[in-house]
Amino acid sequence: MQISNIKIIKALVKKEFYQIIRDPSSILIAFVIPLLLLVIYRFGINLDTVKVTMGIKNDDPAAEIQTLVKSFGHSEYIKSFVYEDKDLMYEDLVRSKLRGMVIIPNNFSVGLSRSQPADLLVITDGSETNLANYAQSYPQFIANQWLASSKYKYDLKPPLITPELRYWYNQDINSHYFIMPGSIAITTTLIGILLTALVIAREWERGTMEALLSTRVKRIHIVTGKYIPYFILGMLSMIFSLFVCIAVFKIPFNGSLAAVLAVGSLFLFTCIGVGLLISTNLKDQFLASQTALAVGFMPALMLSGLMFPINSMPLGFQWFTHIIPTRYFVQFILSEFLAGTVWEIVYVNSVFLLVFGGLLFMTVYKKTGLRLEDKC
Amino acid sequence: MNTVEIKNLTKIFDDVPAVDNLSLNIKKGEITGLIGADGAGKTTLMRLITGLMIADSGEISTLGLNPAADKAKLNPKIGYMPQKFGLYEDLTVIENLNFYADLKNTAHDFKKMLEFTDLDKFQHRLAGKLSGGMKQKLGLACALLGTPDFLVLDEPSVGVDPISRRELMKLVKEYLNEGMSVLWSTAYLDEAHSFDTAVVLDRGKVIFEGRPFSLGATSKAFEAEIIKLMGGYKKEESLIAKSVTVQDYGLEFTVEACNLVKKYGDFYAVKDNTFCIKKGEIFGLLGPNGAGKSTSFKMMCGLSAPTQGTARIMGTDILAQPSKARSHLGYMAQKFSLYEKLTVGQNLEFFAGVYGLAGKAKEERINGSIQVFGLEEYVDRKSGELPLGYKQRLSLACALIHNPPVLFLDEPTSGVDVLTRMDFWNHITSLAAKGVTILITTHFMDEAEFCDRISLFYRGEAIAVGTPDELKRKAHADTMEETFVNLIRSQSK
Repeated sequence: MQISNIKIIKALVKKEFYQIIRDPSSILIAFVIPLLLLVIYRFGINLDTVKVTMGIKNDDPAAEIQTLVKSFGHSEYIKSFVYEDKDLMYEDLVRSKLRGMVIIPNNFSVGLSRSQPADLLVITDGSETNLANYAQSYPQFIANQWLASSKYKYDLKPPLITPELRYWYNQDINSHYFIMPGSIAITTTLIGILLTALVIAREWERGTMEALLSTRVKRIHIVTGKYIPYFILGMLSMIFSLFVCIAVFKIPFNGSLAAVLAVGSLFLFTCIGVGLLISTNLKDQFLASQTALAVGFMPALMLSGLMFPINSMPLGFQWFTHIIPTRYFVQFILSEFLAGTVWEIVYVNSVFLLVFGGLLFMTVYKKTGLRLEDKC
Repeated sequence: MNTVEIKNLTKIFDDVPAVDNLSLNIKKGEITGLIGADGAGKTTLMRLITGLMIADSGEISTLGLNPAADKAKLNPKIGYMPQKFGLYEDLTVIENLNFYADLKNTAHDFKKMLEFTDLDKFQHRLAGKLSGGMKQKLGLACALLGTPDFLVLDEPSVGVDPISRRELMKLVKEYLNEGMSVLWSTAYLDEAHSFDTAVVLDRGKVIFEGRPFSLGATSKAFEAEIIKLMGGYKKEESLIAKSVTVQDYGLEFTVEACNLVKKYGDFYAVKDNTFCIKKGEIFGLLGPNGAGKSTSFKMMCGLSAPTQGTARIMGTDILAQPSKARSHLGYMAQKFSLYEKLTVGQNLEFFAGVYGLAGKAKEERINGSIQVFGLEEYVDRKSGELPLGYKQRLSLACALIHNPPVLFLDEPTSGVDVLTRMDFWNHITSLAAKGVTILITTHFMDEAEFCDRISLFYRGEAIAVGTPDELKRKAHADTMEETFVNLIRSQSK
């Protein structure tokens, strides 16, 4: 009996692999899309330095102030255009050619040479909040730097407090260091949920489920026959993504590969459960793929804490993130890459994923019918 | 002991009984034919017998086991082939066989089976790329693996040409060893006539059970008796044909195919095909699966560009003026390509709109169609939920909505019961009498007799063209089926 069980599962797994190999879309989802995402995240998306276009209008004729205008021109954070005509500059802001403007008033140097506070007018386009923030803070920073090296520096009083800034775990605050590991979590979700959401529905649609159910195949055979191949495919894809991240793109990795693969396999186990649950219930490939995107993939992308910090979400959403498996894996893989293996994080996230995955497996097992009852 | 014993079995779907208080015994070691229209309850009965469904009430015993409780014990003893054959289309022939052999715990020795089914040359071809007849043979081969005690085949011959059907039967008989029983459902009455026992189902009830020869000595007589049992067919004047008016274009030949060629790589799907159809003629395209009938059809209505040659509909070249040519044409595609999620009324409205009807004329035409085709009851039902016979009617209604002088019908009667088919042909012959030109394909040889002329297609070529009687004489045969088989065989030698 034991031997024939293994034989049946082996036959089912083999069949599934033939189908995977013959279906270009599964290879696409498992290897091409992860690679594409990693390349896009590496070269296309940059959350750190944004070169802001700003207009400069200098009304102060003092020679020293010219050097301030120049330091705007040298800054690596902004692209500055010097205007003679104020109205022209306003117009360019209205046309979105500029994100902000700096106006140096004609009494700017007078104030400074008397050691009195001098005003600098900074106007930004508030319709794009994120850019407006940059457009506001960069001129301030540049002006202060210029002040410290200009002839007015002797009038500066030393500040009482100088904060020393350090960024732990990511010294250069390079966003690639957390986005790229995070994308591994996203692509694993994609394989686990989207690909598997199709596979049981496909058997119902093509009528092969009816043929399977008329043989000696048992529920456990059908379920494990689906879990195993997609688990293997998912792990291969995860290893591939890790390799690209660490070896090709040289993203610093401080944790242990064994821990990543161990927790990763728990995470994959959970995702496959979600996908198969969708598939067994819907029995229709189109519906299943739509549902997989809506309930599986979108929340993983938006609410896993990768794109938007969970702490800044409304309270209701914060609770909701607790039932999104990707959340746990994102938290774990970020700590692996940036901080190294923190056993507490490993344990907590593993327990959550194991409980989720186990519950899903049992539900899928229960829901897998051995008859055509619900269908007429 | 009987293979299957059923007492007062009932299975209800949405308040409609699919199997209605049915009692039946299936004898051991025989081929039992299960005959009935689509929706008569054949598939449901087979699923109840194999344990794939559970009955609402009544008793059932298959091979001495209760299929509801002992499904796991029963399954290994049954070879079941569902309607879609249960093949994995993205696996090759041999991979499908290996897979099912593993599930059935039997040896991977397919030499004899592959030779017998002529599939040995196609071992490494994907099942999805096989022709209809070969898929059926492979499905049957998979069901036969592990030498089951009871073989259950759900419409193994639907949409299959007469030669492939004979081969299927030969295959089953070859493997019918001592004591194996077969349950074979079919819509072909001539096929049912050749079984040991025939069971005729109508609306979930058995209306005949016994030796087919006791009902009729020939398959024709058998068919006549079955029609009587189903309530009889009364030929009435076709309202559909009555509502049609055909304009006189003053053309002798309304449909012309001129040297049509379709080449895929080195392979000729259609080789230099020429024919002309007169106004009001019914022209039948017959031939085995994969002979190039559908390809010709698609080229004729401009759905597929010919490699060479062209076609003319009402004198209009389909390549030069496709829209104008198509406006003369009503097309009923294989499997009734309706929008299943739309209601009957919405389907009619859509097709009326597509054919350029608008305003009051459109409304009148739609209402007229609903009345003439007897669709009043179903106007607000989704067309996917209709019984097959009504799908066929609706499909014909959509094809005729713009009053075309030419009608193309691609296997319009596949899977439809004998009464509906007779009714359908009554409309078709009446339409032709009114001057509508009809091009039709079919696998029912009895239907071929209704055609004025037939073109027999084989390997992309028309091997014989003529009236049914001319072809019979040529093949020295009495029936169309024999004619078909003889002519194809003489060609393939």
